[in-house]
Amino acid sequence: MSVIAAKDLCRTYGSRRGISDVNLTINAGEIFGFLGPNGAGKSTTIRILMGLLRASSGTARIFGQDCWSDGSTIRQDVGYVAGDVRLYSWLTTRRGLSMISKIHGRDLLPNGLKLAERFRLEPDLVVRKMSRGNRQKVALVLALAHSPRIVILDEPTSGLDPLMQDTLMMCLRELASEGRTVMFSSHTLSEVETLCDRIAIVRDGQIVEDSKLIDLKAQAPRQIVVTLQEQQRASDIQWPSCVDLKFEPSSSPAQYSSTIALMVPPSLRHRTCILELLGTSTPFMQWAAAQNFADVVIGSPALEVLFRRYYAE
Amino acid sequence: MSGLLSKIWMEVRWPVLWFSLGLCAIMGLLTALLPKVLGNIHTMFDKMPMVKPLITALLGVDPGDQMSSQLSQAFLWVHPTVLTLIWAHEVMYCSRMPAGEIDRGTADFLLCLPVSRWKVFMAETIGWLLSGICILAFGYAGHLTASLTVQPEMRLSVSHTMMVMANLAAVYLAVGSFAFFLSSLSDRRGRAIGVIFAIMLASFLLNFLAQFQDWAKSASWLSVMEYYRPAIIIQTGMFPRFDIGVLLCIASTFWIASGVTFRMRSICTV
Repeated sequence: MSVIAAKDLCRTYGSRRGISDVNLTINAGEIFGFLGPNGAGKSTTIRILMGLLRASSGTARIFGQDCWSDGSTIRQDVGYVAGDVRLYSWLTTRRGLSMISKIHGRDLLPNGLKLAERFRLEPDLVVRKMSRGNRQKVALVLALAHSPRIVILDEPTSGLDPLMQDTLMMCLRELASEGRTVMFSSHTLSEVETLCDRIAIVRDGQIVEDSKLIDLKAQAPRQIVVTLQEQQRASDIQWPSCVDLKFEPSSSPAQYSSTIALMVPPSLRHRTCILELLGTSTPFMQWAAAQNFADVVIGSPALEVLFRRYYAE
Repeated sequence: MSGLLSKIWMEVRWPVLWFSLGLCAIMGLLTALLPKVLGNIHTMFDKMPMVKPLITALLGVDPGDQMSSQLSQAFLWVHPTVLTLIWAHEVMYCSRMPAGEIDRGTADFLLCLPVSRWKVFMAETIGWLLSGICILAFGYAGHLTASLTVQPEMRLSVSHTMMVMANLAAVYLAVGSFAFFLSSLSDRRGRAIGVIFAIMLASFLLNFLAQFQDWAKSASWLSVMEYYRPAIIIQTGMFPRFDIGVLLCIASTFWIASGVTFRMRSICTV
């Protein structure tokens, strides 16, 4: 069942493009990655979903309700952290929790303080004395304290140290396992890759890809390093069509510009072939098994290459 | 609503206290000193001829060569320091939301809470009204305390004072709702404050120029000071129904317009 649905969503800022014809459906329990470079339209889409911006055309719905006209009802069950977190200078985590408790009409202090402890946040420290990362944590605690059914995070890891990023990821996975939905915007591929089930890529205000991570990985090229036997010659081998021979084997190490090739012992470099595999690795593995190679190393799908292609197009 | 009010309380309590104490002190000081200073006003009129039109503009009536005790008490309520303090408070207060919230980027946090924009606006309005009551009450307290030091015949009656305060409160509402309206149109608080102050200054100047220029006289209905004449209230003892009515109409029009604008507008902090 879809909890977030955007249809033909457009938004312009005067003559400037915001987003155009954005179509999105996010299902309950999904961790949805919203990926794109700066200025691609991620925040605009999210701000329309949060009822901050009015769409020029198209519809945006959460729980089947219109994000603009029913925003306050929708936000009862949505936790949101803005891209550039700004909080009141007098705010502390405790004051913030007490304030949102009054607004939600239930005591969120116990749950909020537990989250604050998890994020190693001093509950009584005022925002004006906090580092950027701690402010981000306060925003996260206030967004998650009411255990929302949907969590929308716009580049939430900026300013967080790697340990806190892990804590956040863990929190989000727990939420998803409880059937809650997470929409996670980022321009950092690795964090989206480790967290999300499904990814949409935005470019120039349009969604250019919306697929499950597993399907995207199948499309992404893999790097394969093949070490030949001493008597084997790369030119004699009938390489299958699924691979692209990136570098001819050579006795000159200078030709091996990739990191992987440089990690190969010098004695083996002239017998090393670096390949790029497109699509699933099964046919290649079946073929390679019959070739009697000295060694074959298959890398993980290089999503980054795929994304760079989307952005470069 | 209480969550929003507690947020407003955290933000404005100190400024409101300082403005209140400031007005209390200024009004107390003016109440005690004005009768003495204005008693010899004719010498000032002789030395500085520009002072008379200024006082005429502020009072709305010609003080003549001698200021009566009543007129000198009326001058307290139109003294530029008193008006500036009250207006400065409400311009600062009313420009906080949405212009101030957008400007400092906190609008995202506030408006993504599960409350409607009308509720946010209503909470701001309640804060504005309560802070206005507080500031005017402090001002009145300062005036009342200091009036004990002046001769009884120089004191203003309670009924006259209340009528003047009702008129001043109506000015407060008109100026504040206008400030709310400009704030609701703006993304930059500094710009909103600048425009509001410029318009208030123009309104003040228009009222002043109306003493000398026919064109200004014909346009003086645009000035908020045209509807605030404590001297006339004190002289006639009549409740300024028309003036208060006009000011309340202005206030309600701008208040509704700012609420609707805030409700309908997109909020863009990036």
